[in-house]
Amino acid sequence: MIDKLFGWVDDRLALSRSGRHLINKIFPDHWSFMIGEIALYSFIVLLLTGVFLTLYFVPSGSDVVYHGVYAPLRGQRISEAYNSTVNLSFQVRGGLLMRQMHHWAANIFVGSIVVHMLRVFFTGAFRRPREANWMIGTTLLILAIFNGFLGYSLPDDLISGTGIRIAFSITESIPFVGTYLGFFLFGGQYPGTAIIPRFFILHVLVLPLVILGLLAGHLGMLVKHKHAQFPGRGARNDNVVGSPLWPTYAAKAGGFFFLTTGVTALLGAAVQINPIWQYGQYYPYKVSYAVQPDWYMGFLDGALRVMPAWELHLPGHMIPNVFFPAILLPGITFTLLMLYPFIEAKLTGDVAEHHLLDRPRDRPVRTAFGVATFAFYFVLFGASATDVLANYLSLTLNFVLWAFRIMAIVVPFIVFAVTYKLCKELQQTPSAGKRQQFNLILRSADGGYTTVPAEQYPGYDQPELAPVDVEKVELTADAAQQDGDEGVYEIPRRYR
Amino acid sequence: MGVVVGALALASVLFSPHAATAGPGASLSSAVLASASAPNHRAALSLGRTLFDENCSSCHGVSAQGSALGPNLRGLGAGTVDLWVSSGWMPLANPAIQPIRKPALFDRAQTTSIAQYVASLAPGGLPIPKVDLAGANSAEGFSVFALNCAPCHTVTGAGDALADGLSAPSLHGVTATQVAEAVRTGPGNMPRFSTFTISPTQLTDVVDYVTKHIEHPSSPGGLSLGGVGPVAEGFVGLFVGVGVCVLIALWIGDRNEREDTDGHGDAHSPPGGEPPSGSEPEVAHA
Ligand code: HEC
Ligand code: HEC
Repeated sequence: MIDKLFGWVDDRLALSRSGRHLINKIFPDHWSFMIGEIALYSFIVLLLTGVFLTLYFVPSGSDVVYHGVYAPLRGQRISEAYNSTVNLSFQVRGGLLMRQMHHWAANIFVGSIVVHMLRVFFTGAFRRPREANWMIGTTLLILAIFNGFLGYSLPDDLISGTGIRIAFSITESIPFVGTYLGFFLFGGQYPGTAIIPRFFILHVLVLPLVILGLLAGHLGMLVKHKHAQFPGRGARNDNVVGSPLWPTYAAKAGGFFFLTTGVTALLGAAVQINPIWQYGQYYPYKVSYAVQPDWYMGFLDGALRVMPAWELHLPGHMIPNVFFPAILLPGITFTLLMLYPFIEAKLTGDVAEHHLLDRPRDRPVRTAFGVATFAFYFVLFGASATDVLANYLSLTLNFVLWAFRIMAIVVPFIVFAVTYKLCKELQQTPSAGKRQQFNLILRSADGGYTTVPAEQYPGYDQPELAPVDVEKVELTADAAQQDGDEGVYEIPRRYR
Repeated sequence: MGVVVGALALASVLFSPHAATAGPGASLSSAVLASASAPNHRAALSLGRTLFDENCSSCHGVSAQGSALGPNLRGLGAGTVDLWVSSGWMPLANPAIQPIRKPALFDRAQTTSIAQYVASLAPGGLPIPKVDLAGANSAEGFSVFALNCAPCHTVTGAGDALADGLSAPSLHGVTATQVAEAVRTGPGNMPRFSTFTISPTQLTDVVDYVTKHIEHPSSPGGLSLGGVGPVAEGFVGLFVGVGVCVLIALWIGDRNEREDTDGHGDAHSPPGGEPPSGSEPEVAHA
């Protein structure tokens, strides 16, 4: 019966043909290829918990009087958004858990995108033909950060309200159009009541849809291009060596989904995040010290803090200080990030197709440049905590601020030099990064000991990647051969 | 942002309209500011004098008139002295930095007697306040706190660094009396809040909010991470959240389905790192 049904459906849709193709997709066995999946799974957690939250959240800035269970708020005039978020946390069964899981999942989502991009960057997986997918990925990062900020702002509490205030000033600082843009976004003068419903619809509908669409494109291109892979173990530029989607990889991925969800749930259950009831309703005249955005906006906050108070006076127009760290810096950052594959191709003149990945040490300049750039943003990220650091380290705020100003400039250069040197050293050390060889200690009949290298597994004779000389990696330009249905799969014998 | 917020914070303290802090809870609370009455006044004064001479006069002068090492204390009132001594700020350990909270050197009775002795030297100042929290309205207290105190002490009371090496201390562990004294006397760089800014009822409300909800915050969500907000949360999110997930990837990423072809046990993966895999000939076999 079921067979018949399947047969009927298959006759109409011819799914099994393409399905079989998909099922046989080969995933190279390397753990670093699974980092992107963390992002995918935390996005699913975000969607699921997010749907739950929308059932209770009221996206409105209008006033109500709080009558809930939290005594220090009772009788205060608060917005419906804040009211519903507090009620969701205290009076809805499982509500706080869902809220906290949603928030942790957002942190993990953006974090894993960043780690995933680092992997792609340092192994050169962005090179032709994957440049477009790199750009999609960068767009996803930007959207994830942006949507995170929107979601963070929705509860309308004291801390996120301060963030919206800063966002308004940043929008206003854009030369010439800033003021109009700010008024357009906020539906009039700041703060107004329009911003919460607007952020809401962007946060729960528009951006998730765009992210979903791009994600589909991202994964579709992944299937189309097939995975890039590390050289060695029979992997060549024109094949893919690894485990097939079904059953091996599906089992791994399924398990990984549950484990990622489990980590999120554990954090959501055990570690408090964003206790908005302690912050109170946002009013523009109430300010708290030690206000920071979520970590992924941290580099912007840090840039705002370390930026000296410079302004640019053009005839008839003044470009405010905020513009440089908050608009120019991320603008340049993300443009360069987006275009990096083309920039590198231009600089190296290497426009060939690459399906074999680099070991970071074999590309010392790229690696050192990447680490240095990352260090720069990490310093800015640290600078978003100047006050907290000054407080905990008992230093003066001004000292910490100046330390970060100097570090933002000096650290990248030091990091570049050190990384470059390390890469060069590693290249000279073929044994670096290899697992220790197991040894067998044998005792002879007369009491003498001898040590012999042991076999790790029966028949496991080539456990390590062979170092490859990048200059000699063969490049096959004919992609046509790969695109056909009969792409060259090298399926290790044991899977057949 | 911190500096900007700090400046805003000061501005909001200095220019906040008084009306904004007068609230509905006013009729509910009753703060009684009264001089602590000592049963044996004379004995207390002489004990206070002895303690002052031994511990304080070296800096503040024998009759509290001040010296190069410490300011004049005459006319300050018992409330100020009580705050500075009970919080452990005095006797001063390191004159170069802002006094920091340490275990108080004197017990309650000794502190009171020092305070009364200094107050007896010259008229004026605030007596040691008596705070009665019955009927206090913590919602009003929360509102007053967010408006007047959060700009420096942060809204969770965790405290934070202010400009020029000063800091607003954490309010975890202060007593009700100390809060009332601090609000009314304005120690160090903290502004003094008069009854126009914070009415006596509002003072009771704030004291109530600080001693109940700042010092014992309700954290139904789990570990509170020190109440310092998104910085700590970010570190947990990155190093615990993403970190553990990456470790899991490391753990399962290299696992392979290993067929038990040659009878040597079942699937066990190599300890970390690279997977066992077919060498060149094995692949070619496909
Ligand atoms: C090492 C010198 C030193 C000693 C000992 C010392 N003080 Fe002080 N005291 C100071 C200094 C300096 C200040 C000013 C601190 C500041 O404003 O940050 C001060 C401030 C004070 C203030 C606040 C003055 C104001 O204008 O608000 C009081 C009250 C006070 N001390 C009381 C005492 C008492 C009581 C003792 C003895 C138990 C004592 N001090 C011991 C140096 C000292
Ligand atoms: C301008 C910033 C500022 C504001 C606003 C402010 N404080 Fe303070 N507060 C300080 C500083 C700075 C100190 C430490 C004084 C010192 O060490 O010399 C302090 C000290 C205190 C202490 C004593 C802490 C201890 O360790 O004994 C209490 C209690 C206190 N503040 C409560 C409040 C309350 C309640 C409010 C609101 C009504 C408030 N503060 C508003 C800056 C501020």
